[in-house]
Amino acid sequence: MKTDARIWLLFAGLALMHLLLHVGFGIGRAAPDLLTVALLLGAREVGMGRAAGMGLLFGLLEDALSVLSFGANSAAMTIVAVLGAVTRDLFVGDSLFFLVSYFLIGKWVRDLVYWFMVGETLRQPFVDQVLIQGLIGGMYAAIVGVVLLAVTGLRQQAPA
Amino acid sequence: MPAYGPEPETNGGRRPGMLAITFLLLALSISYLPDVAQQRIAWTLRVSILRPFLATQERILAARMNAQNVEQLMGQIDSMTAVLSTQAALFDENSTLRKLLDLAERAGPSFLPTTVLRGGTAGSESMFLVRVGAAQGIYEGAPVVTWRGLVGVILEVQKEISRGMDWTHPDFKVSAMLQDGTMFGIVDNRRRAFREVDRLVLNGTPFSEDALPGTPVLTSGLGATYPRGIPVGVIDEVEATQGQWGKSYWLRPMVEPGEVTHVLVARRGAGGDVGALWLADSVQVGEARTQLGRRP
Repeated sequence: MKTDARIWLLFAGLALMHLLLHVGFGIGRAAPDLLTVALLLGAREVGMGRAAGMGLLFGLLEDALSVLSFGANSAAMTIVAVLGAVTRDLFVGDSLFFLVSYFLIGKWVRDLVYWFMVGETLRQPFVDQVLIQGLIGGMYAAIVGVVLLAVTGLRQQAPA
Repeated sequence: MPAYGPEPETNGGRRPGMLAITFLLLALSISYLPDVAQQRIAWTLRVSILRPFLATQERILAARMNAQNVEQLMGQIDSMTAVLSTQAALFDENSTLRKLLDLAERAGPSFLPTTVLRGGTAGSESMFLVRVGAAQGIYEGAPVVTWRGLVGVILEVQKEISRGMDWTHPDFKVSAMLQDGTMFGIVDNRRRAFREVDRLVLNGTPFSEDALPGTPVLTSGLGATYPRGIPVGVIDEVEATQGQWGKSYWLRPMVEPGEVTHVLVARRGAGGDVGALWLADSVQVGEARTQLGRRP
């Protein structure tokens, strides 16, 4: 099945918007992690290899702005991209429950892997960074992702 | 998002897996690259893909800094304006007090320095209190002056405090003359809607003689209420003529009562002619404005 071009438009738009909000405007955590949302969207449209490549590229973009933990974002995003691509073979469906779970767990796994990779000197307490901030960020990403799919009409077009 | 479709990478099942493993290994190994290599990768990304976003951030930061600078500058301007306006008032008060001190020094013990208190209530316009009284030798009818000239007169004296009226009071009258003593008259006031625009008038001067604008008018000493020589005002213009026998002139007052905060009050035996006390101050200013004397 040929992927809808709007998915890639949304993919690119989310990536650009993420960089604009976080890097350009310096909004920080008030803005959602649109890069992870874009990666999770794109990962289900391509195979595992390309998804991993996208994850590596996105991770490197974030690492380029990180002075002390270079590589942590690359590893986290690549792993999330691979796992996202794997879900294509494991889960079939486009239900609201699946989408919310997909974005929430995807974002949370990204924060979890980052927490492991960032090193002891830089990481915050697990409860704070992963359990609390990670889950809040996951819910934020899930809401944004589901709303975007609904607004763009991409979810309705999906086969049941 | 399409729920399911055939595997997009159809070139065998091993190739995507190998590619993914390669990227994963690459991603995991990035953390262990030498710092120089990491910095080179980061720098390459910062000057290429991330450049427009970093430039945006720089512009926004610059705009914020400019806005902060403008706020700081506005704050500094406001502070300086406040300081300057305060200093101007202090300078003015200081100058007034110094001149009053000079006058007090010239006058000696015949005049007492004091502060003017105003009631500020309805009906208390043109009236004031001074913190000197009978205990200091103040008497009813004692003139109240500043370094510029006559303010008013004491009406009621108690032991430590006295009540007086300034020249804007309807009952105020003073016998006056031109500075050279050639023309005499009575100065009283014309009340207007507001005290700030009340004016003094020199009445009862001869019709056949003219007083030049700017000529100082002093107390004449006639009637023995006011000593001779206290500046009252300067001639401004003719107010009216009375038939063929008299004229009256508008005066510009030497003292604006609303501005007065510190005064000198005459004590008993202040002397018959005190004109020499003001020669260095307001009268000389008046002389400088125009030619002295009357015009036949």
